[in-house]
Amino acid sequence: MDEKEKTEVVEVDAAPEKTEKKITFPALLSVSPSPHLRKRETTRSVMAEVIIALTPALLWGIFVFGLRALLITLVSVASCVLFEAGAEKLLKRRITVSDLSAALTGMLIAMNMPVSVPIWMPVVASFFAIVVVKQVFGGIGKNIVNPAMAARVFVMMSWAGNMTKFTAPGARFPFFGTVSGGVDAVTAATPLASLKRGAFPKETLLDLLTGNTGGCIGEVSAALLILGGIYLLVRKVISWQIPVAFIGTVAIITFVFPKGGEPLDFMLYEILSGGLMLGAIFMATDYATSPISPTGRIVYGVGCGLITVLIRYFGGYPEGVSFSILIMNLLVWYLDNAFKPRRFGSELAKKREREKKEGKA
Amino acid sequence: MYTFKGGTHIKEYKLTKDYEIERIEAPDRVAISMSQHIGAPCTPVVAAGDEVLVGQVIGTVPDGALGCPVHSSVSGKVVGTEIISGSTGNRETCVVIENDKEDRPSPEIKPPEGRITEMTKDEIVSVIRAAGITGMGGASFPSYAKINSAAGHVDRVIVNCAECEPFITADHRLLLEHPERVVGGLKTIMISLGVKEAFIAVEDNKKDAARRLAAVVGQSDMISVCLMKTKYPQGDERQLIYALTGTELPMGMLPMDAGCVIFNAGTCAAIYEAFSTGMPLVKRIVTVTGDCVKKPGNYIIPIGMKVSDVVNKCGGLVREPIKAVFGGPMMGRAEFSLDTPVKKGTSAILLLSELFDTKPTPDPECIRCGKCVANCPMRLMPAYIAQYSRLGDMASAEKFGAMSCVECGTCSYNCPAGIEIVQYIRSAKNNIKAEQRRIAALRQKES
Repeated sequence: MDEKEKTEVVEVDAAPEKTEKKITFPALLSVSPSPHLRKRETTRSVMAEVIIALTPALLWGIFVFGLRALLITLVSVASCVLFEAGAEKLLKRRITVSDLSAALTGMLIAMNMPVSVPIWMPVVASFFAIVVVKQVFGGIGKNIVNPAMAARVFVMMSWAGNMTKFTAPGARFPFFGTVSGGVDAVTAATPLASLKRGAFPKETLLDLLTGNTGGCIGEVSAALLILGGIYLLVRKVISWQIPVAFIGTVAIITFVFPKGGEPLDFMLYEILSGGLMLGAIFMATDYATSPISPTGRIVYGVGCGLITVLIRYFGGYPEGVSFSILIMNLLVWYLDNAFKPRRFGSELAKKREREKKEGKA
Repeated sequence: MYTFKGGTHIKEYKLTKDYEIERIEAPDRVAISMSQHIGAPCTPVVAAGDEVLVGQVIGTVPDGALGCPVHSSVSGKVVGTEIISGSTGNRETCVVIENDKEDRPSPEIKPPEGRITEMTKDEIVSVIRAAGITGMGGASFPSYAKINSAAGHVDRVIVNCAECEPFITADHRLLLEHPERVVGGLKTIMISLGVKEAFIAVEDNKKDAARRLAAVVGQSDMISVCLMKTKYPQGDERQLIYALTGTELPMGMLPMDAGCVIFNAGTCAAIYEAFSTGMPLVKRIVTVTGDCVKKPGNYIIPIGMKVSDVVNKCGGLVREPIKAVFGGPMMGRAEFSLDTPVKKGTSAILLLSELFDTKPTPDPECIRCGKCVANCPMRLMPAYIAQYSRLGDMASAEKFGAMSCVECGTCSYNCPAGIEIVQYIRSAKNNIKAEQRRIAALRQKES
C-alpha cells in the first residue's frame, strides 16, 4: 500500500479551476465493480494504531526498568521484521513487512518479557512467533494462535528461570547486565505470587495501577494499558466485547470466590496484577486469532477469563493469561460458526417458512 | 430520529448541494434506450426518417407485458437505431434522434381530464403507465406495476428521499426547489392505493429540505416528514422500512409483505408532472459531479443524452477521469463507453479521477478485523462468505447467508485489507442461483 493512502479520505474541490490546456477523456475508461469509493484505511494504518496505543505502557516500562528494556524491544522488533522478510523470501511470498504486523508482534514479545532476560531470548522468541507460528501457517491472517503469546509460552517453558526473574521497579537494570552476571538486580516477587497464596502483596492498588511493581516490561502499568485500550476503542480498531468480557469474567469470579481478604480488594488486585490488562486489551483482541462474530467475541472473552482464573487458582503457574488466550485461539472458528449474528429479517423468514409448511401439510 | 443497526457513515462529498437545478442545452443527437426499465424492453415504433415531437411515443411494450412506453425527449428526425454495449455485457437498442432544437411538444400532451380525487385506481395507473414512469432511484421498476401489485396489500406509502449515496444531490435539490411536486405526486399515489398514511424519509444532512417539505405538507395527520440518521445504506428499502416501522424484512420478501410501498422522490415528482401538464418522463434531474468536470451541478437532462455531450455542456474536464460512474459511488455502475446515454434511472454521473482509483490490492489477505461484520446492515459475516466464494465452496457461502446480501458495498468500503468482498459475494450469489436453476430444471425433467 502506498504512503499517500494514510489520509482517510480524498479531499476534492467543488470546482477546481486552474487548467489551461484542454483535458480530454482517456482512450479507455476503467470498469470496476462497485463500490467506487474506499475508506483509506489499510492493514498498515490499523497496525500503526495498535503500536501507538501500546507506546505509553512501553515507555513506562523503559522508565521503571531502565534503558535495557528499550534494547530488548529494539532487538525483538528488528528480529521479527527480519524473520518475516526472510521467511517470506524463502517461501516465495510477497514481502509484507511494510504492513507493520511483524513490528507489532516484536513489540508485544518484548513487552511480555522481564527486563532481565538475556539478549538472545527475544531473538529466539521472535523466530518462534514469526516463522513457526505465523509464516508456516500461511502468513498474516492465517495463523491459528497468537504469535507473540505462543512465543512467550515457548520461551517460558524452555527457560522458566529467565522468564520469571522480575526486577523491582525503579532499580534500573544495567544496559548490558545479565541475571547471572553478578549484577544483582533486586529481584522482586510479583503480586500474583502472593495472591496465589491468598495473601495481599506489599504493593498498594495505586502501585499496580500506575505500574510501580515488578513484572514484564509492558504489563506493569494497568492505567496506561487501559488508556491505550480506550484509544483503540475510540479509533474503532478493536471492539469492546473481548476486553470487557475477559476482564469482567475475571472480576466476577474473583469477587464471588476470593482467596482471602475483602472480596472487592481481592478482585481489584487480581485484575490489576500480572498480564491481564495487556492480554485482554492487546493480545486477546488480535484480529487473526479472535472471532469476528460479536457474540462469538463475548463467549471467547468469557472463556479467556474463566481459564485465566482457573489457572491462577489451581494451576501450576501463577499467571494464566497466556494459556487462556492460546486455548481460546484454538476455538475461534467454532465460535464464529456457532455464534453467527442473527440475520436481518430472520424472524419473518422463519415465520414465512412455517406458514408454508403448515399450508402444505 | 429514525435509523437502523450497522451501516457506516461515509464521507458525503455532496459537492453540488448548493447548486440550483439548471436546464442543460439539449445535444444535437440523443440515443434513447429501449431498455429503460425492469421487464420487457420496448420495441421501437418509429423508423428512420420519421419526424418526432417532444413526448411522442417512440417505443412500446405489448399489452400485458411488464413495462411502459418510452417517449422522445427532443423534437426532430429519427436517424435510426443503434446498439450500445454496457459494462455488464448488456446490449441495448437505442433510437437515435437528430434534434432540431425547436422543442415542439407533441399535441397529444395534455393533462388528464377530471379531478384526481374522482379518478379510479385504474385510471390513475393508466396515466402513470402511459407517461412511461419508472422508479427513478436506480432500480427502474415500472411504477404502474408497483401500484397495481401493492393495491389492497399496503397501508403505508414511503417516499425515499434518503439519498444516502455520497455525491448525489439530485433529490436534495428537487426537495428544496419543488417540494410541492413530490408531495403532489405522493398524494396521487395515496389516492390510487386508498392509503391513509405516508412517510417522507429524509436524511438529516438535508434538514433544509425536510423543513420545506414540512411546510408544504402543513398540518396533516396522514403525511409525516421523518428525519433519518445520515448513514449508508439508509436508503436501502429494507433498512428504511426497519427504521420507520420496526419490521425486519428478509431477502426474498417485498416491502408489500410489511404493508409498505416505497417510491423515490423523483418518481413522485414525475407522477405529479404527468397529472399537471401531461408531460411523460422525458427528462430528469441528474447530478453531474466528481473531481473531473469543470461545472458540476444538478442538471435537467433529456433522456438519451450521452455522457460525452453532458460533459461538454458542463464546461468540459479539469482532470483526466479514469471512470464514468452512472449512479452513486457505492452501488453505481462504471461504464466504459462515452456513448452511454442517460436513462430514466440515472440519478448521477460521476467522473472520477485516479484519486478515487480502487485498484484492488494484489493478493489481499484478510486480517479478520471484523469490520465487515460490524457494519453489515443485513448482519452477515461477509469475510466468511467472501472466503468461501474465493475457495469455490458455494454451499458454505450459502450457509453463511450469501443470498441475503443486498450488495450495498459497505464491507468492501471498510475493508483495510482491500478485499473486494462484495464482488466475491456477488459471484457466490450468481453461482448459487445457477445451481438452483440447474436443480429446478432437473426436477422438471424428472416429473
